[in-house]
Amino acid sequence: MKKSERKLSTCYTFLKCQSCKISKKRKFEDGDVVFSKTQNCSDCDGKMLITKIFGETMD
Amino acid sequence: MIVKDMDFNFDEFMAWVGEDTDTLMMLLWIIPVIIFVFYGQRIQLLISSNEIKKDIEKLEEYTSTTKKDFLKYVKNNLTSSSDPSKKLDSFFDYFTIMPVDLDPNGIISKINHLVRSREDFIRLQINNMFTDLSSVELSKLQNLLEIVTTLQLFHKHTRHLYLTAKKQKNFPLILPLQMMIPFIMEEAEALKDAMHAIKRGQPIGDSIGPMIVGELMLETKKENVTFETVWSKTTFEDRDLFLLKAEGPNATVGRPGDGFEKIISTKKPDLVIMIDAALKLEGENSASIAKGFGAAIGGIGTERFKIEEIATKNEIPILALVVKQSIYEAITLMTDDIAHQADTVKEELLQMIRDNTVSGQTILVIGVGNTIGVAQ
Repeated sequence: MKKSERKLSTCYTFLKCQSCKISKKRKFEDGDVVFSKTQNCSDCDGKMLITKIFGETMD
Repeated sequence: MIVKDMDFNFDEFMAWVGEDTDTLMMLLWIIPVIIFVFYGQRIQLLISSNEIKKDIEKLEEYTSTTKKDFLKYVKNNLTSSSDPSKKLDSFFDYFTIMPVDLDPNGIISKINHLVRSREDFIRLQINNMFTDLSSVELSKLQNLLEIVTTLQLFHKHTRHLYLTAKKQKNFPLILPLQMMIPFIMEEAEALKDAMHAIKRGQPIGDSIGPMIVGELMLETKKENVTFETVWSKTTFEDRDLFLLKAEGPNATVGRPGDGFEKIISTKKPDLVIMIDAALKLEGENSASIAKGFGAAIGGIGTERFKIEEIATKNEIPILALVVKQSIYEAITLMTDDIAHQADTVKEELLQMIRDNTVSGQTILVIGVGNTIGVAQ
């Protein structure tokens, strides 16, 4: 990876509802851990599971 | 002398040279040749050393900023009865003397003992320094400390080689440094940028292996198999799956070698599959998947040795599934490309199991890598 490619990235948390399987992406919050259950689903009130945490490069 | 004794007159000089300018042209060619014959190496040394000096200054800056960052993190996030800065400062200068290798027989166990002793010592010292320190915080501190120590070591060693070459005016001595410095700088930049992800407990590129196995471990009964290492059992298409990974979300790689040794004492698997991040070659795409044979595990080599030895003794084949990435991607916040490959890697793993085993067989899947920010 070239130096120019190393731009600042924002960290996101990807969540998936265990019941209705809806996926959501939000900004990373302290304490977020992959495969931990966090907030309830806004659609079906089921538990949301964090499936991914990753950085997206800002252009 | 002509110039000193009398006023220099260009017209007279040209007259002396004559209408034919060959003599002047010859001088213009010969003088640089003479300079390069006698001072060529020194000029090269000067140019090379200037570039290296800039990189050494950068390394010094990286060391001091990461050090400050680390101490600031400790002060703001942890409680201590006394000021920990002084004690932590002394840790940065700790060194490790590797065992003598004149007789390499039995050196692996010596290295293993040495590395484990160092880890245990640092862990104990940090643990005693702070109150109410969780295992996650403890492992994060160990990783941060390792980053600062490594950067300091890079800086000290490159500076030593540079100063020695300059002191002795020895051009050949600076050549190996000139060749190595781009690689050192690449790793140093990655280490500096890794601080942020580790402080916040975010997964890094190397966490892809534990992420795949962690997902398979969901809804299974996890047990500690050895220090900072967990395992569980599940089934897949009439096959038994043994899953092994470092205990997340700690910033640790666990002890997969010891884990494998313990698991094999309960039941011998028919196949071992190791999932890990691997350094990509120049020209290869980041987050590309590759399959192969052998133990996919990095580090100092002790864990790989153990896994290879157990597999050889028990005649268990080892397959490897790796996600290619650069050194920068491997130790900084996991990129979206790598994270989005997780589902494909899982599919590849399951296909690998189908292709290489039959129903009723047992497969051990090891998720290799730092499991920071990844639970199970």
